[in-house]
Amino acid sequence: MSGWLEHLVFGILATVSVLSSFLVVTRKNPIYSALFLVVMFAMVAGIFMLLDATFLGFMQLLVYAGAIMVLYLFVIMLINPRDETLPDEGGTSEKAFAAGVSLLVFALLTFGISNSDLVTEMTTPGGIPALAEVPATHGAIEAFGYELFSKHLLVFEVASILILVGIIGAVHIAMKQRPASADEDDSNEERLVTDV
Amino acid sequence: MFSLPALLYLSALLFSIGIYGVLARRNILVVLMSLELMLNAVNIALVGFGRVHALSTTSGEHGGQIFTLMVLAVAAAEAAIGLSLLLLIWRRWKTIDLRELCRLSG
Repeated sequence: MSGWLEHLVFGILATVSVLSSFLVVTRKNPIYSALFLVVMFAMVAGIFMLLDATFLGFMQLLVYAGAIMVLYLFVIMLINPRDETLPDEGGTSEKAFAAGVSLLVFALLTFGISNSDLVTEMTTPGGIPALAEVPATHGAIEAFGYELFSKHLLVFEVASILILVGIIGAVHIAMKQRPASADEDDSNEERLVTDV
Repeated sequence: MFSLPALLYLSALLFSIGIYGVLARRNILVVLMSLELMLNAVNIALVGFGRVHALSTTSGEHGGQIFTLMVLAVAAAEAAIGLSLLLLIWRRWKTIDLRELCRLSG
């Protein structure tokens, strides 16, 4: 894929991702936020594939749009927020403050990007060059896997330990807490738990 | 235009929208979603830089993509821990309103 088609696809993906992420932060009901977040993740996966990061695109769909969103939807279902239990959102002054800070950050980032010598140096005329112009191994899943398991093996191991710690921590935190003054039923339950 | 600055501007825009979500919302669930949004914005910048950096190397290395994979793992762990803390808060205080949790500040 090259030329104007690439620009068009990128434009659509970028527009939809910005719109849906704006809807994520403005919807009152978290279910709508979660659904728009799925759209945003899918668009980012499309951008990854456009950048020849095929493996990351699929990982984005599997991990974010699959696993993490299921986690969010499960928690939303457990909490079952109704309109009267949803927190009142802040007034206009609070929103104006948040909008001001985020606009300030955006302005600073834009200033930094447009004035960076490094970005100007790295920018090639006519957009990101086609895959044919980079070394042939870039973007291939085999090459990516080989590099991950040889040159960056430590990163992989650290990530796996991090996820293991995350799983154990999440299970431990969310486990049913035993009340301090246990009545009859609870003490039975406690004994069962210690037996197991 | 599909170029490196365009990717970086998109990344900056998504990051600022995420900051707005973190600061303006009182619902912990939406604040956590905004954090995911910000991590995604950073991922776009990382992959874009990695893709352009591969032009100047002979082996076409994947440093940016591997960094992104690490961010993905951090995001997954963060979502799991954050949501289990949220469940704990819901079970104890029956609220998902951040402003009602300000008793932590003493």
